[in-house]
Amino acid sequence: MSARRQALLLLAPAALTLLVLFALPQALMFEASLGRRSAYGGIVHEWSLANYARALEPLYLGIFARSVGLAAVTTALCLLLAWPVAWWIAFRVPQRHKSALLVLLVLPFWTSFLVRMYAWIVLLRTEGVINAALAAVGMPALDLLYNDIAVLIGQVYGELPFMALPLYASMEKLDRRLLEAAADLGASPLRRLREVALPLTLPGIAAGGVLVFIPSLGAYLAPDLLGGAKGVYVGNLVQAQFAVARDAPFGAALSFVLALLVLVAVAAARRPLAAARAL
Amino acid sequence: MAEAEAGADVKRGLGLFALGVYLFLYAPIVVLAALSFNESRSSATWEGFTFAWYLKLLQNAQVMQALRSSLIVAFVSTVVSTLLGTAAALAFHRHRFRRAAWLEALFALPIVVPEIVIASSLVLLYAALSLRLGLVTVVLAHVAFSVSYVVVVVRARLHGFDRTLEEAAMDLGAGPWRTLFAVTLPLCAPAILAGALLAFALSIDDYVITSFVAGVGSTTLPLQIYSMVRSGVSPEINAVSTLLLLATSLLLLAAHLLERGRPARLCAAPAGLGFALLAGPFLLGGPSAAGGERALNLYIWSNYIAPETLAKFEARHGVKVNVDLYDSNEALLAKLQAGNANYDVVCPSNYAVAILARQDLLLPLDLSALPNLAHVDPAFLDRPHDPGNRLSIPYFWGTTGIAYRKSRTGPIDSWNALWDPRFAGRILMLDDARETLGAALLLDGRGVNEEDPAALGRARQRLLAQKPLVRTYNSADFDQVLLAGDVWLAQGWSGQFAKAMDQDPDIEYVVPKEGSSFFLDSLAIPRGAPHPQLAHAFLDFVMEPEIAAEICATMRYSTPNRSARALLPAAIRDHPAIFPPADVMRRVELLEDVGEATVLYDRLWTEVKSAR
Repeated sequence: MSARRQALLLLAPAALTLLVLFALPQALMFEASLGRRSAYGGIVHEWSLANYARALEPLYLGIFARSVGLAAVTTALCLLLAWPVAWWIAFRVPQRHKSALLVLLVLPFWTSFLVRMYAWIVLLRTEGVINAALAAVGMPALDLLYNDIAVLIGQVYGELPFMALPLYASMEKLDRRLLEAAADLGASPLRRLREVALPLTLPGIAAGGVLVFIPSLGAYLAPDLLGGAKGVYVGNLVQAQFAVARDAPFGAALSFVLALLVLVAVAAARRPLAAARAL
Repeated sequence: MAEAEAGADVKRGLGLFALGVYLFLYAPIVVLAALSFNESRSSATWEGFTFAWYLKLLQNAQVMQALRSSLIVAFVSTVVSTLLGTAAALAFHRHRFRRAAWLEALFALPIVVPEIVIASSLVLLYAALSLRLGLVTVVLAHVAFSVSYVVVVVRARLHGFDRTLEEAAMDLGAGPWRTLFAVTLPLCAPAILAGALLAFALSIDDYVITSFVAGVGSTTLPLQIYSMVRSGVSPEINAVSTLLLLATSLLLLAAHLLERGRPARLCAAPAGLGFALLAGPFLLGGPSAAGGERALNLYIWSNYIAPETLAKFEARHGVKVNVDLYDSNEALLAKLQAGNANYDVVCPSNYAVAILARQDLLLPLDLSALPNLAHVDPAFLDRPHDPGNRLSIPYFWGTTGIAYRKSRTGPIDSWNALWDPRFAGRILMLDDARETLGAALLLDGRGVNEEDPAALGRARQRLLAQKPLVRTYNSADFDQVLLAGDVWLAQGWSGQFAKAMDQDPDIEYVVPKEGSSFFLDSLAIPRGAPHPQLAHAFLDFVMEPEIAAEICATMRYSTPNRSARALLPAAIRDHPAIFPPADVMRRVELLEDVGEATVLYDRLWTEVKSAR
């Protein structure tokens, strides 16, 4: 049997599954996005681009922009927190402890995200754990919950491992001799970081960035629960079209616009990935 | 020398930084584990250490059943998607396909498309194929969104993979399959394991997609948790989460010990304990719901009927009742509109009854089989959403109003209190277009079912002016936020506030003098229900005065059953939030479907919420 036939045989089951369970339903959805809402929340199949025109109104464009902003800040913060931790695990920790530390990064994800968000509420609220601790040392209570910082805490909390794991993977693969050479040649730690370590981990940064940025664009639980639902993001907006306004055609159009945005983001991340591979 | 010291400092600093990040990751885990041992039901206070919630958990048939479903779905979908995904990743690794861009897109897009879109597109697909909703449709959905993740993880490992090993095997005479199984697969085993762990984690925590495609007997743990959140995350849920974490940790510990070559005896203990914990729900929880030839399939809001009440019906008719839960009328509408859910009894709100009736999705009732309807207060019968009660019987009702902490606010009697700058940052509003715009409309002298764009525009202005005063919008556990002390005034629904008043005497409830809305949830039988006779028996059963009284006493929503109210203890019968006096009832209006204006309501509400 040829390698090509083998590859086709290996690919076919998954490709067929995705064609039937993903592509076909998406085609049905796209058809729906061209229709309009009936008075009782059904779909009227009269094709027009009205829903796409509505999705580009300033009200909704503003919401898209805000979501991109939240996703960008979340991605940046995750990178800031995850990079040193991944570096520490990759280069400072004895080999026998590495896998345990990696598993510990992911373990919290085996409990419901909702339950963990409620645990954060218990920590942050007016009469919560953190304020009780502050009171114990004679400090005044802080309004920690229901603001943008709380939203970011929830977002970063939810996405951190998706940044840390690809970073670690790219660090583990990199050639340590390059770091040693830079040190031997007298480069300062800062310079070694900027000119050697960061460029070498660029593939991990790009992969982690995509894995954090995309789901953050669709975020809705952290803004609702920790932010007090005082801002609308694309995730809530799409959710509301299906689950409140019962306007599936508009919801479908919004989500296709969102998918387009994501594809642009992924294409943007390709360039550093390709550049890094060329190194 | 100085360089080495600086290096040591950096090393220590890095270690401390990493420690901080791990603390950040585990702080909420510690909190939820601690709360599972808290004597108080509310997460607002610590009242002492107890194991009681773990014992309660074992007796909570619904949660145990949900845990079983979750584990079955997660296990099966993980195995299937890992097999499919690994095979596909290997195919990509070994061969450059023509038209690769299309294939790449097919595999990448499921990660990119929002969950809710995958969910509703699958609803369209299953309806088109007339697939009966249940565990199978849930597993298929989970496979659909997990495969791509497995492919990504395994491909990442194969990228930069040392091909010379494979080539060496081929040169030594191994065929492509032998090379695959003897060389490639063992080398990427860690990545396959990582992919499987990711698929399992995605499946066991999925809510959005599952809620759209679940059917009879396939309520998973996240569905159960979301529907229970209305009463706050209960310690039982924290207990389940803690046990799941413990089981996972034990299994991972065993794997870790094994990997490091420790004797099998040492690994057996944590592995055995971990598996025992995971197998527990299957051994303890009693008979599984899916079996049983005569069964009633009930689809209802959470906290709407007690297991003890259902047990009485089961005993009387010698049947099993399968309960599935939902937390929005829209989830119910989606299920019934798809036409493949197989429920016998559902519990839509009045406006949802009207929508279902127009689409001819409800079975006309045989009123001769419902003699107990005579016990229901005529005020709740023959309403516009269902003239003559041909399709539904009233089950629970409640009002919208304001609950407030009277020691902080003094007496309150008007919606204006929610616009009072004295209470800035201490106000909670429902996260609900109809209710918030409704309150603003009432202040403007309009009704809650207003469709006039000019009046609605003015209501939006009022809400925009109010926004800086609002601490949070919340329509799930608003009563808990009030109890915890985060806000002093909260707009919300009477049933949940009635429970809050029992817990804290400082809390009062009022239906404002400008008027308000009320809701009426009814029981109905969908067309195509497999057991219509049994469904009629159930409807008549819950209208028996003793049973209706028991349901009201345990759930604290208002019963429309006159005879039942007379049987209730005075504390509930005359509770101002559960049974408001006649003058209050005169100023509340039933919330109706507003048809085309629904889109306008949503748009105005989006404008309010997205304002800075």
